[in-house]
Amino acid sequence: MTNLKRWLQRPLQPVPLKVAIILLVIALLGFADASYLTIEHYRGVIPPCSVVSGCETVLTSTYSKVLGIPVSLLGVVFYLVLLVGVFAYIDTKKTFLLKWTLALTFFGFIGTLWFLYLQAFVLHSFCVYCLGSAATSTLLFMGAIWVFSKYTVTDTLAA
Amino acid sequence: MNTKRIIFWVCFAIILILIVWGLIVAMGKPVTQTGISGTAPEVTAVDHVAGATSTSVSTLIEYSDFQCPACKSYYPLVEKLMSEASTTVRLVYRHYPLPQHQNALLAARASEAASLQGKFWDMYRLLFENQETWDELSDTSARNVFSGYAEQLSLDLTRYAADLDSAAVKSRISADQDAAQAIGVNSTPTFFVNGKAVVTPSTYDQFKALVTASATTSTP
Repeated sequence: MTNLKRWLQRPLQPVPLKVAIILLVIALLGFADASYLTIEHYRGVIPPCSVVSGCETVLTSTYSKVLGIPVSLLGVVFYLVLLVGVFAYIDTKKTFLLKWTLALTFFGFIGTLWFLYLQAFVLHSFCVYCLGSAATSTLLFMGAIWVFSKYTVTDTLAA
Repeated sequence: MNTKRIIFWVCFAIILILIVWGLIVAMGKPVTQTGISGTAPEVTAVDHVAGATSTSVSTLIEYSDFQCPACKSYYPLVEKLMSEASTTVRLVYRHYPLPQHQNALLAARASEAASLQGKFWDMYRLLFENQETWDELSDTSARNVFSGYAEQLSLDLTRYAADLDSAAVKSRISADQDAAQAIGVNSTPTFFVNGKAVVTPSTYDQFKALVTASATTSTP
């Protein structure tokens, strides 16, 4: 937490294009996954109940909505903001755009932990699509930590 | 903003739109049933049958679970179909309570206990129509709710309570489930039309077309 605060107080050095593209691809996967669940929600289609999956339990639970908004739609917005942020960085090379975009992955990760807890300990069922989004969200958070630790301007560099 | 950057952003937006559009198109197609390796067992005297009484009509067999949200979402479609095509389609309900649904087996037993007093389809409707009221209850509370339904249906409650936990009722449900597992049914609802597994339709029109098309082609 202290590290995160310190990282956000300092500027970021330019990050190689390939790193930004990797982040973009992961966010794209998360966007596709969350879009799938959102479309399914608004089409009113409930996936069949399978012997090996509890997807329908998760997707029809009271936790699948926040203030009436499907969690998957919040996921779409989250990944869309990340995509636009990373893409804007690739376009403009302005590092503050990447820094604040990556900072958002922290909130995504907190959300991921909460929903994993709900699936494991409250609903006792896992939805493979939700786990897919948890994976992309976690990867983006780990990527953000790596970028911050490697590319944040340090005192030595600043001097 | 120069032209190159505009193209850059337009391409980005097009990729996102294509992803969403591709998903919408792909998801509009009916879900394919996988893993089913045989035909549904023949309809027998112990089956729960509604609709047409003749054996020469189209037979729709549903493997279902009273606590399954997807089965509940198909319930109004099945009801509508049976109200519109009750002379040309016969519906057969078979049990497939899934282990992740804590009250599904108890609900199936409640329907069988009601069946022994001639009220299977009434209990079937009450269970689906009120699924949200009992799906997350404890075993004891669910029993109380189901007893309430039995009372509502004017069942002999003493007999109902005894049948609910009887070995005969439990084995009746296991028999449905074992037969389904033997042919590879692994999800609910799974529909068979004239013995053959069909893709789960997305809309009522698809559903009706699927069943009634078979009705016109089924052999006596």
